[in-house]
Amino acid sequence: MHEVVFYLAFAWMTVLLVVSVAAVIRLRSTAGRILALDMTTLMLVALLILYADANRSSYYLDAALVLSLLAFLATLALARYHGERRIF
Amino acid sequence: MGSVVSAAVPFLADALVVLGVFVMTVGVYGAIRMPDTYTRLHAMSKAVFLGVVSLCVSSAVTGDPQVIFRVALIAAFLIVTTPISAFVIARAAYLRGESVEAPGPVSEPGKPPEDN
Repeated sequence: MHEVVFYLAFAWMTVLLVVSVAAVIRLRSTAGRILALDMTTLMLVALLILYADANRSSYYLDAALVLSLLAFLATLALARYHGERRIF
Repeated sequence: MGSVVSAAVPFLADALVVLGVFVMTVGVYGAIRMPDTYTRLHAMSKAVFLGVVSLCVSSAVTGDPQVIFRVALIAAFLIVTTPISAFVIARAAYLRGESVEAPGPVSEPGKPPEDN
């Protein structure tokens, strides 16, 4: 039963990932696209956490941590460059 | 008593996974439903972040100490950085003069909105 829950969660999270990638492509404002890219990376982090939880392995959590760090830095740099034309 | 609790723990983890996926679904639906960036910020940053934190809690419930430490680190980092990301994106949209599409916008003192 727990495997069924995890498989359904994987499938539905993949659908959500596809929808958020489509939001990155389809949105018209650049700030909205940066926001959708941030959401896409959070989806990937959630998928990695779910995968680590299903496999009882803690190595994927390191990848999830590094991915969330990189997503934060990328969002910060992109949004500051978009807003005030400089990063620092 | 202890055996009852340890038998209920996997079901608690499943319930938290279902809750997290549902909250993330609400966030993604808000991404395609909301009219402009300022209202999209509510759905996308808050709901998706709360879904990830719910998944973190669900894998901390059943995990060993290694998993619990890493998951707590991820959740704490997301709690610190998600408001910063949302603020920076909202500031970028405001500085670029993105218009407010939601009904009934209010112009606050300071720099007026360019066009809405």
